[in-house]
Amino acid sequence: MVTLGQRGLARAGGRGRRNHLAGWLFTAPALLGLLVFLVLPILVTAWVSTRHWNGITSPFDSQPAGLDNYRELLTEPGVRRSDFAKALRNNFYYVLGVVPVQTFLAFVLAVILNQRFLKGRGFFRTAYYFPSITSSIAVALIFTFLFQINGLINAVLPGGRVNWLDNPNGLLHLLFRQLGMEQPPAWLAETELLGLSLWEWLSGPSVTLTAIMLLAIWTTTGTMMLIFLAGLQNINPSVEEAAIVDGATAVQRFWRITVPLMRPVIFFVLTLGVIGTWQVFDQIFAISFGGPQKTTLTPAFLIYTQLFANSKGGIAAAIAVILFFIIISFTLLQRWLTRER
Amino acid sequence: MSRAKRWSAVALAATVAVAVAGCGGDGNGAATDVTGEVDLQGVELQLMGWSSSAAEDEALTRLLEKFNEETGANVRFNPVPEYDTTLQTALAGGTPPDVFYVDSYKLPDLVDAGVLAPIPDGVLTDSEGIYPSLREAFTYDGVWYCPPKDFSTLALVYDPEAFAEAGLEPPTTWQELRDAAEALTTDDRAGLVMGVEYPRWGVFLYQAGGGLTDPDVTEMTIDSPQSREGLEFIADLYAEGLAVSPSEVDAGWAGEAFGKGRAAMAIEGNWVVNALAQDFPDRKWAVAELPAGPAGKATFTFTVCYGVAATAKNPAASWALVDYLTSPEGALAWTQDFAVMPAHESVRDDWLAKWPDLEAFLAGAEYAHKWQFRPGFADVVGVFDEHAQAIVAGNSTVDKLIEATDSAGRDILG
Repeated sequence: MVTLGQRGLARAGGRGRRNHLAGWLFTAPALLGLLVFLVLPILVTAWVSTRHWNGITSPFDSQPAGLDNYRELLTEPGVRRSDFAKALRNNFYYVLGVVPVQTFLAFVLAVILNQRFLKGRGFFRTAYYFPSITSSIAVALIFTFLFQINGLINAVLPGGRVNWLDNPNGLLHLLFRQLGMEQPPAWLAETELLGLSLWEWLSGPSVTLTAIMLLAIWTTTGTMMLIFLAGLQNINPSVEEAAIVDGATAVQRFWRITVPLMRPVIFFVLTLGVIGTWQVFDQIFAISFGGPQKTTLTPAFLIYTQLFANSKGGIAAAIAVILFFIIISFTLLQRWLTRER
Repeated sequence: MSRAKRWSAVALAATVAVAVAGCGGDGNGAATDVTGEVDLQGVELQLMGWSSSAAEDEALTRLLEKFNEETGANVRFNPVPEYDTTLQTALAGGTPPDVFYVDSYKLPDLVDAGVLAPIPDGVLTDSEGIYPSLREAFTYDGVWYCPPKDFSTLALVYDPEAFAEAGLEPPTTWQELRDAAEALTTDDRAGLVMGVEYPRWGVFLYQAGGGLTDPDVTEMTIDSPQSREGLEFIADLYAEGLAVSPSEVDAGWAGEAFGKGRAAMAIEGNWVVNALAQDFPDRKWAVAELPAGPAGKATFTFTVCYGVAATAKNPAASWALVDYLTSPEGALAWTQDFAVMPAHESVRDDWLAKWPDLEAFLAGAEYAHKWQFRPGFADVVGVFDEHAQAIVAGNSTVDKLIEATDSAGRDILG
């Protein structure tokens, strides 16, 4: 008995080692690809952020800069720091506006599409997902056309002619103006953070940025909806049936059964949303190029202009590294907020 | 051809080549291999640039085919859509194209990075006839880096029918411009449309005797009474509704606004002619020189040159190609089909024979300012643009623009 078992174990051990090796061999190409095309460029970018690189000659020929690039972006007063602050502010409002709306909308659409009694689910699924697979530049150009002063959006809006594409007025500022506050109180206008006054930080997204946010929500809701749909279909219907038998209403079922069971999927969608929105570039490049008055400037776009218009590759790399830490912090914060209690 | 005849032909060619090589060089060390007859047989060269239309593509390809026929070389034109990013990647990666377009705006960045070769002596057959303002645009720290392929200037494009209706002549002074804009503004048409950015507003600063910086870009001159005068003139035009920004009339740029008939005058460059012919062929237009300000006439020149990489593998062949393309004949051939202008004074009349309506653009060559700063200065221009947009939107004043631009410029220029 024992010898058989030992022999069995020995055979398992040999097979186990071979399985280990086979596992490494099979994943080696993918790991190598990740290492060369993902890890290495990130490390090189972090290194370049400590150099004065002009973006034209090889980075290995550049002069060391220590933390000068970070100082220019974060501590030294000047146009680079205030531009970076504006980019952070704009992108922060963008994230705040796009991620909750697209997550909520996608979830609601997924729940609706998951109902068994809905006819033509295939058609609706395709229709909602379609915006995500179209070229973002093509969509951006169409939206430019729609949002013109004489365009379709203004034609159906009850308010009349809104200047969407060239409007630097922040939504929060407009709200304050409605509430009677035309000029900021002194303490808001005087205190500065990263070169911008607190009043400027509290401007909210500009109307142009809001138009771009609407575009982004329309484009990515479909992808998130599909992810939620997959998660919903993983929920065992017997759980729902048991709840119905216990007398739970639809709303109770939604909040007490569906949402908690979907927690990991919600976290996944939120993380994807945060990572994607902090890197927004395509729509800015196609529609507004950072204007009007730098209210659609984002860190990703700033990286592009600093590297190619300004020949400041070190600053661009530093912005990329700072962006990395921002996204990590947001993701960790989210993880903490959606943890199991 | 019989054997004897073929050999004597070769011998004759060789003798001619040696003779010309002998009197072509000028003893300047490394440059002697670049002057004189260059054997281009079978040499492969890559010319990288951009193309704003298929017709431009075709015209350049025709010119290169002619060059290939005459010299036996194999030059390939490589138009790339995102030129700046592709060129920088190629340069940083160590595999630069042999010859590439260099915009005057990008020249300082490329020279400071050491990737451009200066023009060796004797390589260009007719460099005396190039307009001084264009030669100046491609001279950095006293060294001339590349000959211009063509140039454009800003001028006033106007609607001749609207002017005739209102009984007006094209304006020649600021006051006349203001009066014309006032007379031509109607409910669905603005008087003047102009982009809200320094490449357009700058001409008014120069016309008032000021400017963003001094010619050498070493100190800021935006905080001067002359610059202020120019800025206030423009700001008033926008404030009174006589001038509009393109987005106010649902256009992407001033040329589109003019083409759609949303404005009676526009300040744009030569490219607007091609765009109007293509997108708005029924629109009537005429061109006049920009009106003179208190300090006289001024305009911008936007020009591109053919640069040779410092690490080009065959500099002699590259310079031979550049010489061919920028010679008076090459320049004239290139500018026949498009409204860009040749950089040589000698072919001025030939070009005007083909484009008689565009004399105003050509006249600008006499008093044009180059569009060029120093590396890292784009941020300061960005601050100017930002505040210019704010002025037009009613959120800011000329004082704030001057203060912000001046302090940003002083930071960057050190």
